[in-house]
Amino acid sequence: MFTKRLAIACAAFTLTLGNVAVQSATAQTASSAINTHPLRAKPLPVTYLFPEQVTVVAGKPTPIDLHFKVADGLHVNSHNPHTEDLVPTTLKLPENSDVRLTNAVFPPGADFAFPADPKEKLSVYTGEFTIHAELIATKGDHLVEATLRYQACDNQICLPPHSIPVTIDVIAK
Amino acid sequence: MKRNVLVVGIVVIVLALLSLAGWANWQNRKQQAVRLQIEQSKAVLVADNASPNGLRMNSPLVGKPAPAFTLTNLKGEKVSLASYKGKAVQLNFWATWCAPCKIETPWLIELEKQYAPQGFEILAVSFDDLDKEDKILLAKEKTDIAKSAEKLGISYPVLLDGDSISKPYGDVDVFPTSFFLDKNGTVVATSAGLTSKDDLESNIRKALGETQSAASKPGEGK
Repeated sequence: MFTKRLAIACAAFTLTLGNVAVQSATAQTASSAINTHPLRAKPLPVTYLFPEQVTVVAGKPTPIDLHFKVADGLHVNSHNPHTEDLVPTTLKLPENSDVRLTNAVFPPGADFAFPADPKEKLSVYTGEFTIHAELIATKGDHLVEATLRYQACDNQICLPPHSIPVTIDVIAK
Repeated sequence: MKRNVLVVGIVVIVLALLSLAGWANWQNRKQQAVRLQIEQSKAVLVADNASPNGLRMNSPLVGKPAPAFTLTNLKGEKVSLASYKGKAVQLNFWATWCAPCKIETPWLIELEKQYAPQGFEILAVSFDDLDKEDKILLAKEKTDIAKSAEKLGISYPVLLDGDSISKPYGDVDVFPTSFFLDKNGTVVATSAGLTSKDDLESNIRKALGETQSAASKPGEGK
């Protein structure tokens, strides 16, 4: 008797779940009809990959490599774009911080041309890129929030310049 | 013993179904959030195989009067959209840092010259940041925009501080973006991203009240 009731309850439960699953699938089909353009997609066009934590010698400039990723299908201007109008990719540390950026070597950009204007070459980053930074910190643990500023585009569209936080736990011994 | 195995089996199945229900519910909520986000965004880019860049901007402004605005041009004069009533207008939202905007600018200059006799005008609305708190920086920013416009040979009015009118135009956040208004000030077409000169011309002709079939006649009006 108990087993029979249990079986009936399970069957009813399964039917309800089936209904929920169908609703979910319908919702998915409806929303997939709307194209989420990569420029509007999450995550942001550029994401900070690593390191989250670095250990440096207190008071001495220490090199660290900061790794970033540009979302697929997009590019950002390199640190040295070919024309003045374009917004370069830059890295900044907060002023009056116990951690200072003493040097930053940006990778060279790759040539890029819009299909509609193949002669005009831009200097851009795509995929992953690394900034060779040099930090100097006072003794202690510091949670630093650096800022990477960039301006992203794809083959047809550009987004306004944007900044992302680059948070690093700097342990200076 | 047999009954215990059966009960354990049923419990395992129920737990699995509960997990499935949780997953389905989570998926459903996620989709609802996406739908809400889309509904809230006033203009969306949608896939369009007919468009050269594969994108088309769906704006609820099409068929409605263009939101009124008054902005300042590069000479410091106030310019109102209302003063363009009776003209077909293209509002071209651009920025000096926007490379695709630079590619389409020569096309716009040509098209403006070509269709001006029929009552067509372009208003370039700059979305370059303006530091209103810092007068020295503000002056430099305005000079930079003017220099860039001059370098590009822009002959039509360039209006500043486009960001201040972004909201009524659907939170414009991709560039270039254009709104095409007919002579009554009604939005008849929109475009987002670098399209083609033909596409722009087709929208201009729509704004001038010419039929689409006329606009697509090859070699005409080029």
